[in-house]
Amino acid sequence: MNASRDTPVDSSRRRFLINASVLAGGLALGIRAERSDAAQSTPWAPDTASGRELSAWIEITPEDAVIIRVPTPEIGNGAMTQAAMNVTEELACDWSKVRVEFCSMHRDFMEGGVYNRGFLPFFGGHGTNKDRLAYALQLGASARERLKAAAAQRWGVPVADVTAQDSVITHSASGRTLSYGALAADAASITLDAEPALKPQSEWTFLTKASPAKLHIPPLVRGEAVYGIDVQVPGMVHAALRQCPVHGGKLKSYKPEVVLDMPGVRAVVVVDPAKTRGTPVESQATWGFATNQVQSGVAVIADHYWQAKTALEALPVEWDLGAGVNWKDTAMIYAEGEALLDADEAKVLRESGDVNAVTGGRVVEHTYSTPYCENAMIEPLSGTAIVSAGGAEVWCPTQDMLQAYWVAVDETGLKPETVRMHQTYVGGRFGRSTQGDDVRMVVAVAKEYPGVPVKTIWSREDCFEQGRYRTPIFARYRAQLGEDGYPMAVRSRASFIGTHPIYQLPLGYDDQPYFTSGIIPNVHISRNNYPVSVMNGAYRGPCYNTHAFTVETFIDECAVAAGIDPLAYRLHLMSRWDEAWSDCLRVAAEKIGWGRKLPRGEGLGIAISSWPSAAMRGTGTVVCSAAHVAISRAGAIEVKRVDVAFDCGRVANADAVRSQIEGATLFGMNMTLNEQLTIRDGVTEQRNFDSYPMLRLRDPLPDIHVHFEALSGAERIDIIGEAPVGPIGPAIGNAIFQATGKRLRSTPFRNHDLSWS
Amino acid sequence: MAVVNFSVNGQAVQLDADPSTPLLWALRDHLGLTGTKYGCGIAQCGACTVHLNGAATRSCIIPLSAVAGMEVVTIEGLAGEQDHVLQTLWYEMNVPQCGYCQTGIIMAAADLLRRKPDPSDADIDNAITNLCRCGTYPRVRAAIHRAAAQLAGGAA
Repeated sequence: MNASRDTPVDSSRRRFLINASVLAGGLALGIRAERSDAAQSTPWAPDTASGRELSAWIEITPEDAVIIRVPTPEIGNGAMTQAAMNVTEELACDWSKVRVEFCSMHRDFMEGGVYNRGFLPFFGGHGTNKDRLAYALQLGASARERLKAAAAQRWGVPVADVTAQDSVITHSASGRTLSYGALAADAASITLDAEPALKPQSEWTFLTKASPAKLHIPPLVRGEAVYGIDVQVPGMVHAALRQCPVHGGKLKSYKPEVVLDMPGVRAVVVVDPAKTRGTPVESQATWGFATNQVQSGVAVIADHYWQAKTALEALPVEWDLGAGVNWKDTAMIYAEGEALLDADEAKVLRESGDVNAVTGGRVVEHTYSTPYCENAMIEPLSGTAIVSAGGAEVWCPTQDMLQAYWVAVDETGLKPETVRMHQTYVGGRFGRSTQGDDVRMVVAVAKEYPGVPVKTIWSREDCFEQGRYRTPIFARYRAQLGEDGYPMAVRSRASFIGTHPIYQLPLGYDDQPYFTSGIIPNVHISRNNYPVSVMNGAYRGPCYNTHAFTVETFIDECAVAAGIDPLAYRLHLMSRWDEAWSDCLRVAAEKIGWGRKLPRGEGLGIAISSWPSAAMRGTGTVVCSAAHVAISRAGAIEVKRVDVAFDCGRVANADAVRSQIEGATLFGMNMTLNEQLTIRDGVTEQRNFDSYPMLRLRDPLPDIHVHFEALSGAERIDIIGEAPVGPIGPAIGNAIFQATGKRLRSTPFRNHDLSWS
Repeated sequence: MAVVNFSVNGQAVQLDADPSTPLLWALRDHLGLTGTKYGCGIAQCGACTVHLNGAATRSCIIPLSAVAGMEVVTIEGLAGEQDHVLQTLWYEMNVPQCGYCQTGIIMAAADLLRRKPDPSDADIDNAITNLCRCGTYPRVRAAIHRAAAQLAGGAA
């Protein structure tokens, strides 16, 4: 049921009303004339092919601009720029002439998955994924050869006699040159006998060599880059949305008449899971729909957001809070999860040898845990959609374009060929916008006010309340140390707390080389999960970010119990494994000055982990962090310095990787020192940044040193955004133990008294 | 509704809107200047920082009625013919990651450099209290110092 003060009007009238609110002065205050930035402020691609494309990915204009259309959202990791670099390497074009657009998922559907290449077109950290990289390189090479063939044809010379470089084709014998732009139209119609072979990596001149800055920085720093919340569509109205504060609760009643006469208010609409229409054809969604169902809610639609928000706050709403309200506090939830560590049954993740047959030895047994945390990206959830009977159009800051597209299809029930989706820039997210629950709510609201573009914005309080939080995990480990001090047997179990099974991941837990390489002969690792109403989801390096803390704190405790230096202990335990891990340990330790004498209250710690496939040699990214901390007598933690060594094979853009490691180190540090959400009566207690402390410049931030010496040089160029989030926390915790003798087995560390005298 | 007169990026504006509307939303929704970002609404994160009569101010808690007769400069109006030195260095030093908080940081930094052409680390700590979830802080600090050096040395 919807209540409306008036019927939706056509967009031309709305545009007039919006303009009319400005009596004088331009709408374009401070926006300068059109620029030729590499990344346009509204960088969405056309849905249909133009005549001058060399492929769906590449268009070269007569003015020599090289437009590269990419399926990788830009969430801060530089994936959009990276995707363009991949094409550029083989295209041999002038980087300064490259423009990037986000591809159209509508076109992808219509043309049979032309952009959906490699391991899922999702958050694009996988821009250097092997399959996708090869595809992008091939696109570049094939386009280049067509440009060469077009030039050779025009000049009447053998194609073998022409060369391509920096967007120019040259016939060196005659000294003639032609720009790519002058040849593009001809090249578009050329058919090659065979597609060219790719250069070996050793002949690359751009990838792994150059470190260009992210292409969207110029419009970004001028305030012109369009994030999801910035989308402006003619005729657009604004929605403020309220969902049940207890996850899973339902709208019971509301009184729209109380707010319908408030300024600017156009309608009050209800979103309801029962109104999801379902996709009419088989979905190609990356993750499916189980994690993004509509939540019961009510939205106020108004001319401006502030009007919508003000009216929503005045709107009387009653909720059927559901069973979730019975969770009196977080401790009650955690007690249930922790109890599962002792359950009779559990799913066995890994078993080798026979832990039951091992008797004796010194026992090291401890339980570790991490709490609910919120993604807390600075850009709140938002999106814009217009839904009508004949089609839909969506603008959203998704981390996964394919997922968002199919969620929109599923929510509207429209044929995919009538749905269009525009990727905007993405403010952070750190996993929050992979599943598309945000896109679904945006579409669900717009569906209730058809024919008009509706922008829905979650307030910061709503973002905290309606998060899909970091999965809380309890993990217990029990080691029996042999006479040499190393484990004869390790038994471990983890309890995951949450509703969504896809975020009960064991990555970085049972697959650690300690447990897979055979160095510990008897291993038994199992897991349980405890489903609760509070929804969990993806939070940078999901679950891995906990496992790294629990495994690496436990190993450190074993080393201490054995009386063996923690670095030497790890090196021994890695002695049957990929040398890259040991190299990372050695480099990080050397750089931080491992073993040196420090004043009282200071300590060094080290930790290592790998995302996303630790058990497979030569895959993923392994990161070792070494931390130097100082604990004041009052117990304040200062992380003075961090040294990071890593192996992801090779790096495509060294400064992009450095930037990711710096940022991920601070993210992991903040997660470990500060972050914690608590629940009371089923509702998140933290509502905004004033109750959710996060690192700022004025906090004692470490000098972060990123070292490239441990890179193995293997041909893979693996992902870097998640892995460094893991080891920094346990490295700090292990250093705190060295400094104070206090062992921290739960986060956030700010909950612990570290004072000493 | 009431008409509020002020100036934005050097142009006179008369805005007919609820005077309790925060300046942030007046800029974004009524004037289409979306470079000023919403992050928290309670002056915690600084994404909404603008210059109000020259001083860095969090626009999310300033009602429109309070800016009558005042001069507002947003990120869109920070540069002259050329980019501000901070904008140039932000690109050269690859400072932003997702970038969402960065316009607010740049506005705070520009105000700092105007007040203190050679800021110390402590000056930066006190002036840049903005939140950045991506962890660009080390590069923000380095870029402000380099901007100060370039301004002191004349041409960049």
